[in-house]
Amino acid sequence: MKTSVTRIWIIAVNTVREAIRNKLLYTLLFFSVAIIGTAVLIASLSYVEGERIIQDIGLAAIRLFSVGIAIFVGIGLIHGEVDRRTIYTILSKPVSRAEFLLGKFLGLLLTVWLQVILMTVAFVIVTSATGSRIDSGHAAALFLTAMELMVIVALATLFSAFTTPLLAALFTLGVYTLGHLSRDMLALARQAEVEGVKVAATWLYRLLPDLESFNLTIQAVHGLTISPAEIWLPMLYAVGYAIALLFVASFIFQRRDLK
Amino acid sequence: MIGKFALLMALMATVCATGFIHARMPPTTNADRGDAFVPDPAVASVLSLGFDAALADYYWLQAVQAIGGDTRITAELGVHLGKLIDVVTTLDPWVDHPYRFAAVWLTESEENVRQANRLLERGIAHHPNEWRNWFYLGFNQFYYLLENEQAAHSLEQASRLPKAPRYLPRLVARLRSQTADILVAETFLRELIRDTEEESARAEYQNALDEIEIEKKARFLDRAREAFIKLAGRDIMSVDELLAEPHPLLSALPSPEPESLPAALSRGSVWEIDPANERIVSSYYGARYELHFPSREHQRAEQWRAEREGRDSPPSGPGGLDDGES
Amino acid sequence: MAGDAREVVQVDSVVKDFRPGFGLRTKRVLHGVSFSVREGEIFGFVGPNGAGKTTTLKVLMGLIKATSGRATILGCDVAQTEFRRHIGFLPENPYFYSFLTAREILNFYAKLSGVPSAGRRDRVDTLLNWVGLEHAADARLRTYSKGMLQRVGVAQALVHNPRVIFLDEPMSGLDPLGRKEIRDVVLRLKREGKTVFMNTHILSDVEMICDRVAIIVDGVIRYQGRIEDFLIEDELWSDVVLSGLSVEATTHIEEAFDARFHGVGERIEIRIRDKDVSAVLQIALAAGAEVISLSQHRVSLETIFIDAVERSEGGGGES
Ligand SMILES: Nc1ncnc2c1ncn2[C@@H]1O[C@H](COP(=O)(O)OP(=O)(O)OP(=O)(O)O)[C@@H](O)[C@H]1O
Ligand SMILES: [Mg+2]
Repeated sequence: MKTSVTRIWIIAVNTVREAIRNKLLYTLLFFSVAIIGTAVLIASLSYVEGERIIQDIGLAAIRLFSVGIAIFVGIGLIHGEVDRRTIYTILSKPVSRAEFLLGKFLGLLLTVWLQVILMTVAFVIVTSATGSRIDSGHAAALFLTAMELMVIVALATLFSAFTTPLLAALFTLGVYTLGHLSRDMLALARQAEVEGVKVAATWLYRLLPDLESFNLTIQAVHGLTISPAEIWLPMLYAVGYAIALLFVASFIFQRRDLK
Repeated sequence: MIGKFALLMALMATVCATGFIHARMPPTTNADRGDAFVPDPAVASVLSLGFDAALADYYWLQAVQAIGGDTRITAELGVHLGKLIDVVTTLDPWVDHPYRFAAVWLTESEENVRQANRLLERGIAHHPNEWRNWFYLGFNQFYYLLENEQAAHSLEQASRLPKAPRYLPRLVARLRSQTADILVAETFLRELIRDTEEESARAEYQNALDEIEIEKKARFLDRAREAFIKLAGRDIMSVDELLAEPHPLLSALPSPEPESLPAALSRGSVWEIDPANERIVSSYYGARYELHFPSREHQRAEQWRAEREGRDSPPSGPGGLDDGES
Repeated sequence: MAGDAREVVQVDSVVKDFRPGFGLRTKRVLHGVSFSVREGEIFGFVGPNGAGKTTTLKVLMGLIKATSGRATILGCDVAQTEFRRHIGFLPENPYFYSFLTAREILNFYAKLSGVPSAGRRDRVDTLLNWVGLEHAADARLRTYSKGMLQRVGVAQALVHNPRVIFLDEPMSGLDPLGRKEIRDVVLRLKREGKTVFMNTHILSDVEMICDRVAIIVDGVIRYQGRIEDFLIEDELWSDVVLSGLSVEATTHIEEAFDARFHGVGERIEIRIRDKDVSAVLQIALAAGAEVISLSQHRVSLETIFIDAVERSEGGGGES
């Protein structure tokens, strides 16, 4: 068990090392920081509530680009291994496929979290330069963004465990979209006439990741009160969901021929 | 060498042609497409994929752009702004200013005002401690809709909230006593001017205040004229008689132009007696207010009321805006 | 643990079907492959392109699952993982994390294989030296040439000092000097008592260093045994090159001596058994032919290889 954890950790660290030398990562990072910076310009178009707009845009950019990094860099990282056969040498070492996949997942997640931290630094610099308030609400929102990313990275891991990178990216984007829609779908289906629609929407809501539960942007920006349950319930949900996804991912990956 | 030159020329030609073609394409933005691009608020909030706050900002900036420059505010623009603010406040109902932005600009038709009021009510629901939303609602009810009782209720609510100005209870009393007049309007307008950040809206309010100022001066001259009639047993021939012997009632006439008017813009207006109705008027406006309120607004308000009463059924707002939050 | 303890690799009737498309149609690539590798030997696994060498190796490495049959390494089923700390693998055209340096990647593999941190740095340096990459050790792998990557691959397979080493086309992409270096590395491993399993189609290398070979053609093992056994398997042959041999004499020689003819026009090359040389020469000279050269034919692995391929041309194939 201990050695297993060690191996997962070794693969994770190596994944981070490989990822942080990828130019794509810096391109995305550059754009996100640029957008956080231009938020000041955009906000100046409005004669009021500019500070709020800067925060809205900043938090949106952090979420958008970290999801982008998770999907595009992440799927490239996992799939590239199979595609370019780096996995052959790794699996010839005493490493199980599940360990490999978990290591990749962890490395990717750490990479994405690292990006979130860097973007957050840019965000804090820009917002405090414009003199607006940053408090625990923002920390909560960013923390839940990190939790959402855990689910998305797990999704990307799952999809790249059995399909091509392009399809994996599309699937992940698709589930990301549906995951943000599932609450609305549920609400709409409640008014539906047909019973089947209601049942289908309810099950979709239960099965799809409920990504809206990780969205505290508005609460943070407006300084609304955030109850502890609004943080720890989504956190546990994210952990549970990611573990389930990784289980399925390793199950599939273990049975796969690596051609 | 010639080959290189020809290539360079070809490149230049391509760049120029592309630029020419681009110049032919109208730089239409979503804002120019008007209503067509404003989504249904429910659709917008579903499709925002968690980027509600940023999307709200996007539509908010569209709204700000729509009244930028010297755009004339029309009822149609009011409808457009109403939709935009509806989307903004559906996506992020905790925004603050857009509610009053709607109140300031949605004034060109009864429908506009009622839409503004619905938005204000959503604002009130999400900012229960903000007196200004109640205040703007009260103003709309008093000034545009002539619903003094509702206005009094709104101001009462406002007066109970933190930071509300202390004169609000007096305003409520006046509204309740059915003596609402230019003084109520003036109080409202002074507050609005203090609160509003929009330059052009402030100018509008200032205009209304100017009209009220001239009306107040004209009423003062009316009282002097009555005194003159009592003393002299006859009416004045011109306003200047109020200064002259044998009955110098006034030492000087008030300025016939608004105080806020810079001297450079003075039109040399004078006080005169309108031959049509024998009333004292400033040539600056050329007419007196028949009513307590700035004439334009009041006539319009009366017209709306007439229209409303002309219809059998009581007015129902243009459907579509239902506030799930409240 | 099955079989002779000295047999470190055992492949028993391994069948592998691939499903090339989405359909149910399968393509059989390995038709019950069986062979074994003994401890301490250099085993050459040879066969033409597409014969199934890489597929067999992937089954051994647990990268793909055999449709049926059984493969064990060091007595362990290939689906297990722990025994892999004792094996090294160089894949065909290896590829590594291109943003890392050779030193980093070797360190990574060493850690993964559980090489204790104490000797790790030295071990990595030693291997970089063995494969001749000391000068480029700190450059990112994306700047490496194909041959340099191949060397990283070899180093990676050996970094944890494994007992059994599997090499898929270790010489591919290497210059003659590089090939010699890899041969030396393999021989050094043998001296250290390691077992080496080597996929290749470069027969001269096999002849030079392998103790035993298996020849696989179209997913079927055709020969298996010691190199020496191959080389003395048959009688010795000689090549006679003649000119001006008449048609009648040609037919006569062909029928009488089971000779094989080669060549066109004036010159004819005849392959005959050593014992028939003088008889054939007599007939030829009598028929007025001129002898251009006479040489002993060396029965090389190549002969056997080509023979095996030609023989299987009729049988075997798709299922
Ligand atoms: N994933 C796959 N799907 C379908 N067929 C495959 C797959 N991989 C290999 N094959 C087929 O299996 C056969 C054996 O392939 P393999 O790679 O094992 O050959 P090889 O002996 O290593 O050849 P080479 O000398 O060219 O490396 C080939 O005919 C190939 O087309
Ligand atoms: Mg091969």
